[in-house]
Amino acid sequence: MTPEAQQMKQLIAELIRRPNLVIDENTALVSSGLIDSMALVDLLVKLEDITHMRIPPGKVQPKDMDTIALMFATAQRVGKPRK
Amino acid sequence: MKQWHTLVDALNAAPGDRPFVTSWIDEDEQEEVTFAEFRRRARVHASLLLDQGVAAGDRVVIVMPQGIAAMTVFAGAMMLGAVPAILAYPNFKIEPAKYSSGLAGVAANLAARVVVIDEEFPEDLLGHVSLHDSSRLIRAGRASDGGSESELPVAGIRPDGLAFIQHSAGTTGLQKGVALTHETVLTQVGHLARALQIDGAIDRIYSWLPLYHDMGLIACFILPMVCHVPLVMQSPLDWVMHPDTMLQVISDYRCTLAWLPNFAFQFVPRRTPRERWPQFDLSSMRALINCSEPVRASSMEEFLQAFAAIGLKRNALQSSYAMAENVFAVTQSDINGPGPKGFWADGMRFRSEHRVVTVPEGTSGAMSFASSGQLLPNHVVRVVSDNGEVLPECAVGEIHVKSDCLFEGYYNRPDLTASVLTAGWYHTGDLGFQMAGELYVVGRKKDLLIVGGENLYPQDIEEIVAGHPAIHDGRVVALGMYNPNLGTEDIVVVGEVEREETLVDAAEIERELRSRVVAAMGVAVRTIILKPPKWIIKSTAGKPSRSGTREKLVHEHPEFDV
Repeated sequence: MTPEAQQMKQLIAELIRRPNLVIDENTALVSSGLIDSMALVDLLVKLEDITHMRIPPGKVQPKDMDTIALMFATAQRVGKPRK
Repeated sequence: MKQWHTLVDALNAAPGDRPFVTSWIDEDEQEEVTFAEFRRRARVHASLLLDQGVAAGDRVVIVMPQGIAAMTVFAGAMMLGAVPAILAYPNFKIEPAKYSSGLAGVAANLAARVVVIDEEFPEDLLGHVSLHDSSRLIRAGRASDGGSESELPVAGIRPDGLAFIQHSAGTTGLQKGVALTHETVLTQVGHLARALQIDGAIDRIYSWLPLYHDMGLIACFILPMVCHVPLVMQSPLDWVMHPDTMLQVISDYRCTLAWLPNFAFQFVPRRTPRERWPQFDLSSMRALINCSEPVRASSMEEFLQAFAAIGLKRNALQSSYAMAENVFAVTQSDINGPGPKGFWADGMRFRSEHRVVTVPEGTSGAMSFASSGQLLPNHVVRVVSDNGEVLPECAVGEIHVKSDCLFEGYYNRPDLTASVLTAGWYHTGDLGFQMAGELYVVGRKKDLLIVGGENLYPQDIEEIVAGHPAIHDGRVVALGMYNPNLGTEDIVVVGEVEREETLVDAAEIERELRSRVVAAMGVAVRTIILKPPKWIIKSTAGKPSRSGTREKLVHEHPEFDV
C-alpha cells in the first residue's frame, strides 16, 4: 500500500470504528455498508488533500468510492492538479 | 418590473449582451453566457424536444447536473408551451437505491412525454428512469457548440397556462409536484422584485442552491431570468465540499443578493479556516436572506461576527419565509430596515401556554425569536390551533396562507391536495405566530415534542446542547419518544462529540448538558446519547436528519421502539 493509500485507510478506520476489522485497498466500503454515503464528502475532501488534486464531485458516484483503490483511480480519472 | 404575459416573454425581452448565468466550477473553470446566448441555447434545446414530439402542455422531466444546460432545457421546454420539472441528479452522496425509488415514483406521476438526461448519466441508474409507456428518454448535450435551431412553432403560451412544476421540499416532497401557471409565477416574482428593490443593471445574485427546490429554482433562476439579473452559480456539491468558495465567488463577482438556509450561516464560518477570512470581501452584499428553515438570531449573529471585518453589513442579513406551494416567498424582511426584528420571550409561557410574552433580554429562561419578515402584498396569514380556531396575535399555532400566487394543487394528487388546501387556505404544517405585523416561524408541526402538555421545539433543545464545547457543531438531534408508562413523550437527545476520545467523560458531559437544558427550558431530558463523530444521519443538504437519525437510534437501541 502506498503512503497515500495508508493515509486514506487510517481515516476510514477512524470512520468505521471497528478495531478488529482489517481493511485493504480492495475492501468494499460503501456497497458493504461499512461507511454511509454521507461520509463520502469527508473522504472526498481528504482524497483531494492527499492527491493534491481538485476532484469535481459531480463526476463521482458512490461506486467510484467503494474501495481505496477505486478512490485513487477516480482521483486519477477525474481529478485535475490543484494550484 | 414590467408586466410580462409569460415567463418566455420576460426572457425574450432581456438585453442580449448582459451576462445571465455564470457557472463557477473552480478558480480555473467558469462558463458565462449572456441572455442572448442563453436564449440561443434554449432554442436549440427546444428544437431537440420538438423533434421528439414534445408539444404544448407535455411534461418534460429534466434530470441533469446543476448548470447552464439544465436551465436552457428548462427554458426551451417553456418556449414550446411544454411544462418542465427539474429533478435531483444522482450524486455520490445519495444512496443509489433511495435515489432510484424516488425517481421512479415522481416520473410516473408526471407522465412525462420526455425525460432529458445528460451525456454522463450513470448507466446503472438508467433502468429506473423508464417511466411511462409514452415517455421517451433523451440525452441533451450542452448546446454550446452551435446545434440546430429549427423554426419553433408559435406556441401560443397563455398567461394562465402551466409554466412548470416544482417539487415541495421534505421527505415526501417528491410526491408533491406543485404545478404553477405563468401568471402565478410572475405575480410572485413581481412582489419579490419590489420588496427587494431588484435592479437588473446593478444587482448580481450568488447561488449554490439546487434547482430542484423552490429557493434555487425561483429565487436563483426564475427571478433573475424575469428581472434580467446576472447570476453566479455553483453546484450544491461543490459548495458543500468547499463552503469557503461561496465567499470567494461573492468577493470576485461583487454579488449583491443571495439566499441561504439557516444552517449555512454557521456552516460557512465554521468550515472556512480563520486565516483565510481576510482574503474575502463581502461589502457588495446588500441582502443575504435566511430562508427555508426557522430563522435563528444566533446563527445570523455568528455569521456577522465572523465576517463584519470583511465588509459584511449588519443590515445585509435579512429573512424570508417561503414554500413551493406559494411559488416561493410569503414574507420578506424590510430590505431598508436594520435586519429581521427580534425579541426575547418568557420560555415557560411559550411552551405551556403556546404564546409569546416579551421579557427583557437576559431574563432567566428567556428565549430569543427572529422574524421572517412582513407579508408580501396580497398575502394573508392566519394562525390556527389544533381545534381549527383562529388564534390572536402572539399565540402559536399552524400557519395557514392565502395569496394571489398560491398553487391550485399537487399535480395528479387530489388526495394530497385535499389534505392541505381548504377554502383557498394552504395549511403549511409550520408553526408560528404573528406579532406587530411580522411573522415568526418556530418549527414544523410534525417535529414538535409534546411533553406533559408543553410544546417543545427540538431546535431549541438542539441549540442548547450544541453550545457545549464537547459537542460537534450542529450535530445534535432532539426527538420525542413516546413513553407508554407516562402516556407522554420523553425527550431523547443524540449528540455527536467533537472528538471520540472525549466519550470517556460521557457521564460528566451528559450531566452538564442536562443541567443546561433544565436551566434554559425548565424541562428534563430523559436520555442523552453521546455518539462519536459522523454517527448522526444527515440529509442531502448536509443537515442532521430527524427521521433518519430516529430510525438509526431505534435500530441500535431497541428499547426506544415502543
